[in-house]
Amino acid sequence: MAYSEKVVDHFNNPRNMGSFKKEEEGVGTGIVGAPECGDVMKLQIKVQNDTIVDAKFKTFGCGSAIASSSLATEWLKGKTVEEAGKIKNTDIVQELNLPPVKIHCSVLAEDAIKAALADYQKKADTK
Amino acid sequence: MDEHTHNTGDRRELRMARSMCWHCQSEMAGEYFCDRCVKVQPVSKDLDYFSCFGLPRRLGIDTNVLEAKFYELSRAFHPDFYQNKSDAEQTISLGNSAMLNTAYRTLRDPIQRAEYLLDLEAGAVKDIRTTPPADLFEEILELQDTLNEFRASDRTSDDASALRSKLHVDRTALEQRQREMETQLLQLFGRWDALQDRGEATDQSRAERNRLLKDMRSILSNRTYVKNIVNDLVETIA
Repeated sequence: MAYSEKVVDHFNNPRNMGSFKKEEEGVGTGIVGAPECGDVMKLQIKVQNDTIVDAKFKTFGCGSAIASSSLATEWLKGKTVEEAGKIKNTDIVQELNLPPVKIHCSVLAEDAIKAALADYQKKADTK
Repeated sequence: MDEHTHNTGDRRELRMARSMCWHCQSEMAGEYFCDRCVKVQPVSKDLDYFSCFGLPRRLGIDTNVLEAKFYELSRAFHPDFYQNKSDAEQTISLGNSAMLNTAYRTLRDPIQRAEYLLDLEAGAVKDIRTTPPADLFEEILELQDTLNEFRASDRTSDDASALRSKLHVDRTALEQRQREMETQLLQLFGRWDALQDRGEATDQSRAERNRLLKDMRSILSNRTYVKNIVNDLVETIA
């Protein structure tokens, strides 16, 4: 099975790879894993005035998982927290042309976004 | 009535529903062949892999029995013996053989067997949600960074050899952890089977059942994460 051009592009030139300090103000961190395949994904957002100004990811997994998280960080930048919550795994599937066996990678990316948003919210609430 | 016998009851009904020979329409008593016209019968999609081999739904199974039964059925369904038969029989032989191979591969390996059994049982538990192992994830991602650093380095440099020794230590530790997980799993498997053997229907046994399913699920998942990073380590520093 061949990866789509977009997956290969994200895999070879991953956008926004890296991480923020977890404790930093406005940073939300989501770390999720897919027990079926053992992939691990960490996605972080940096929020200022309710807008995501930056996003980073680190993924240990297959090409599709890396591409899904790379794409997710691209999409997240510039979105409000509310808009970010609306990103669906199906959007990722469509954009990257993921085959059925790789759909769980996009689910993982959506879970990571949700986890990062929840972590940001939790930190904001307890401030 | 507890969930276990309830399930078996359901399956018996399913089997009754398809207990008519596709060819001569007579009542089927035999498992895979019609008693009257001797035509091969399709293995029902509802039949789980354990029942397929006539094995009890347990995590500890006699692999000798599994193998013997597999060979016996493989011979019975082998497409070579159906070349001169009707299209319908050829199709059934192919389908049965494929199903049989998957079933055998799944049950032969204790880990895959457990994954499969958990999937079967999860329908009843509904939700075996486990807490994601955040510490393990952090550790894996950190190791991944070190691996990337090593990959990018000049392999002959001192830095690279320091990284290599560090990765070797990590590898040994992780492999040790993987073995510990497997030991833990085997203990859980034993407790699960014992619980099934007792066949009680008390609140307590149900709670025990759910706890065991959850524990097995979480160790199996963690084992997959660890196994992946170990594979990556081995590949990179070998």
